[in-house]
Amino acid sequence: MAQVARQVVEKAGINVDELLELLVKNASAELTTFYYYTILRVNLIGLQGEGIKEIAETARIEDRNHFEALVPRIYELGGKLPDDMKEFHDISACPPANLPKDKHDVMGILKVLVGAERCAVRGYTQICNMTAGKDHRTYDLALAILNEEIEHESWFSEFLGEGPSGHFLRRGETSPFVSKFLK
Amino acid sequence: MKKFNKNELAYFDGKDGRPAYIAYEGKVYDVSTSFLWKGGKHWVLHQAGRDLTEEIERAPHGPDLLARVKQIGILQE
Repeated sequence: MAQVARQVVEKAGINVDELLELLVKNASAELTTFYYYTILRVNLIGLQGEGIKEIAETARIEDRNHFEALVPRIYELGGKLPDDMKEFHDISACPPANLPKDKHDVMGILKVLVGAERCAVRGYTQICNMTAGKDHRTYDLALAILNEEIEHESWFSEFLGEGPSGHFLRRGETSPFVSKFLK
Repeated sequence: MKKFNKNELAYFDGKDGRPAYIAYEGKVYDVSTSFLWKGGKHWVLHQAGRDLTEEIERAPHGPDLLARVKQIGILQE
């Protein structure tokens, strides 16, 4: 644990135990989403599905990156990850991104994807609100993740016909915002 | 529709197998089956068995999400 780093966050008025619980729940959401997105991605097939597969894969890889980026901050602040993978799944900040009953329903898969991203956007907004001006390092991390989650939401929203995303898909490297935490 | 006062609502805190009810603007909702209210807590910070009208104003979502859960009662002063 980084003792002074934790002390300064506490001194700024943040309940660090609550913040840690939120960070662990969000890390759990990222890892479980990575798993569920694997299943969703492999089922994105055919004329409709193939066009979405690449962008779903980007979101999948970036969600795993979010997990990797969150872990060091959790331990710096004196937290820990659950010992049990099942507990990890059960405490997730977001519901499971399950494959729809009709696994060939591409619009159904897109609704699951956009729902998961919207949950994440709300979650990181909450962490940003909680840490702004008080815990600069967690805020910087949560904001970087939030930037990517918003892009994911806008991509899937566009495919659902809700309007233009205003974004291109990634060209080459993933996690343009979070990569600085992965070095 | 069942009527609750704040003391009666407090029982439904989602802990130890009890149902999880929350109130918003005089309406009581059952969130027991919501994944996001496991154990009667939502996002670490919000506890079932309470009137969350003020808390929802500071939440990163609006009351529109309550359309996903069932209203089961009315909160009386």
